[in-house]
Amino acid sequence: MNEFSRRGFLGLAGAAGVAGLAACAGTGTAPSTGSGGGSSNTIEFWSNHPGNSKPVEQQIIKAFEVANSGLKVKLVDAGKNYEEVAQKFNASLAGGQLPDVVVVSDVTWFNFALNKQLSPLDELLSTAKIDTSDYVDALYNDYNLDEKHYALPFSRSTPLFYYNKDLWKAAGLEDRGPKDWDEFLTWAPKLKAAAGSDKIVMELPDGSNYLDWVFQNMVWGYGGAYSKEWTPTFSDPNTVEAGTYLQNLAKDGYLKLSKDPAPDFTAGIVGCSMMSTGSLGGVAKDAKFPVGTAFLPGDGNCPTGGAGVGVPANISDDRKKNALKFIEFLTNAQNTVTFTQATGYMPVRKSAVGLPEEKAFLEKNPNAKTAIEQLPKTRSQDNVRVLLPGGGARIGKGLDQIVQGQDVATVFKALDAESQQVFDSQIKGKLGA
Amino acid sequence: MQSSVTESRSATPGSGGPPAQVGPPPRRSSGRAWEWSLAALLLLPNLVLLIVFTYRPLLDNIRLSFTDWNISSPIANPVGLSNYVEWFGRDDTRIIVRNTLVFTIATVGISMAVGLGLALLLDQKLRGRNLVRSAVFAPFVISGAAIGIAFQFVFDPNYGLIRDLLVRVGVGVPDFYQEPGWALFMVTVTYIWKNIGYTFVIYLAALQGRRADLDEAAEIDGASAWTRFRRVLMPQLRPTTFFLSITVLLSSVQVFDIINVMTRGGPQGNATSTLVYQVYQETFVNQRAGYGAMVATVMFVILLAVTVVQVRFMDRGKKA
Repeated sequence: MNEFSRRGFLGLAGAAGVAGLAACAGTGTAPSTGSGGGSSNTIEFWSNHPGNSKPVEQQIIKAFEVANSGLKVKLVDAGKNYEEVAQKFNASLAGGQLPDVVVVSDVTWFNFALNKQLSPLDELLSTAKIDTSDYVDALYNDYNLDEKHYALPFSRSTPLFYYNKDLWKAAGLEDRGPKDWDEFLTWAPKLKAAAGSDKIVMELPDGSNYLDWVFQNMVWGYGGAYSKEWTPTFSDPNTVEAGTYLQNLAKDGYLKLSKDPAPDFTAGIVGCSMMSTGSLGGVAKDAKFPVGTAFLPGDGNCPTGGAGVGVPANISDDRKKNALKFIEFLTNAQNTVTFTQATGYMPVRKSAVGLPEEKAFLEKNPNAKTAIEQLPKTRSQDNVRVLLPGGGARIGKGLDQIVQGQDVATVFKALDAESQQVFDSQIKGKLGA
Repeated sequence: MQSSVTESRSATPGSGGPPAQVGPPPRRSSGRAWEWSLAALLLLPNLVLLIVFTYRPLLDNIRLSFTDWNISSPIANPVGLSNYVEWFGRDDTRIIVRNTLVFTIATVGISMAVGLGLALLLDQKLRGRNLVRSAVFAPFVISGAAIGIAFQFVFDPNYGLIRDLLVRVGVGVPDFYQEPGWALFMVTVTYIWKNIGYTFVIYLAALQGRRADLDEAAEIDGASAWTRFRRVLMPQLRPTTFFLSITVLLSSVQVFDIINVMTRGGPQGNATSTLVYQVYQETFVNQRAGYGAMVATVMFVILLAVTVVQVRFMDRGKKA
């Protein structure tokens, strides 16, 4: 009896364990198409609080509730990054308890829009008489699918070129960023000599941490692209040239990849990097050396990034109306200034830059001004990175391989094939449907 | 009265005929009914929970593995076996299965061996052993995500603890985050560190319940320490070893938090991806929930097979 119990118990425990393990893959529930639960006078806002913005989000919410009596906003911690918010939103699509407003990143919004889980906002905007022409055009148009907009810009960022002014001075360089990547190559030996063997000339995030985002600048700088519309163009000679440039930087000892270059740059170990404007606040505060910021090398080769806010498709019209009212307030000129000054993100309204408090802020913080001035030179990202499912991870993997020394043409050829296959199987049939 | 039935049966072994009925049958039948009712009452809540939260999702998961379900889509189209065919034909499957095997075998083997070693050491009467026991067990109750963040400071190639130690002895510092082999080493060591507390405490409990007289008898008979360990102690620990081999295996295969925090499955896309990380990656990053469900189903089958083999192995060991 004793033997049976133990064996039986272990067998059952094992079977339950493996069963539980397998069960974690999907909810398996029928996706909801109902009214999405919720209340019409409580707006549930799902956010990851980009750039540690929870206090400023709460401040804006408080102001909204004062201005709109009868409406309440419930701020929900929906994850620590954009991907986790998307996961929670996906779970809610199956469970039926939908938020009213959800943060969607430059990467995550498209799949929701394509599968009709986000509301097209154009009609709602026009009914509410909200003037969208004040939104920065490049940022507003990032959420366009089939001539409809599925989100409004909120925590938007671009990469900036960050450099250590002390190192620049020691290397005898002018106090500015490189005009293009060829110029940087002429600077790199001087920077290496000035930095010494224990420091790194340039550090970029690795392929698991958005190298594919900042590398677009190099690709565009050499006249290449990840894709033209939906056609992958990794094998284009210009794209391959950019890949070879990246590889040579690493081979010559000028470039290292890391999980997060910000702490290394702030610690003075790294001479320069390309990082998000969202890192500006922390870097400027903690660095013990003068921090320089500049436009990304090249002219007009800066990708946009960050996140917007959208409204789920399957909630009631009343909830949608209130959600849009909140989004408009959250992203109006005054609040985008409040938000961006607290976080380092960019104002999403054109008129924001003209407000006196913003002018004063930019006067005091010239590095923040760099991001604003770079804004007109930004460009929407290539489809295969930002709209194709898993695009960023796929390209990041290839770039890691290139930096580790694998043949550029071979890696890019494989990326072409994989990207095309994903487009054909997951996107093509749904476009225009 | 029931005890008298037992006694009556015991008193007539091998008599051939049916045992004589003693006592009124209706009472025994109502006793059985009561036992059945009690068993059902006790088992039913757990059984319902298991069915609703484990077996139903399991079956649903298997169903979804034959579809092309996009995690955000309300529609899941049947695709037959194509997810399975694709998985077996893809290049990254080989890498991910290899990673899973290396990670699992290393964590099961090393954490059990080190846990046993520490348990043997801390089973001795040593000063301050309770404090050390607590210290060894503590990592097990810390969340994997917290450990993953803490160990980034240990393995950081620019200012980590290991770099500091290696530089002091003049050894080159590997880039744990960018070199695939070292990255897998890093997450494996981190998980072993977390898991040793568990194997240690289970082995310690087993050691404290063992028969000390057997060891003393073997010592009197002149058996060496190694012989006593191998021939006297280990057979007594066999059920514990078996229990640990199953539970540590299952938990090792499910490790997600440490990998997600430390490497996100990279470098080079999948150098530290295991099967469970692939489930996440395919379902939530590539949005192919049908494909993710297929990987989870494959895991289920593999683990079920391994568990069955372990149970058989245990049985054979007992009969031998």
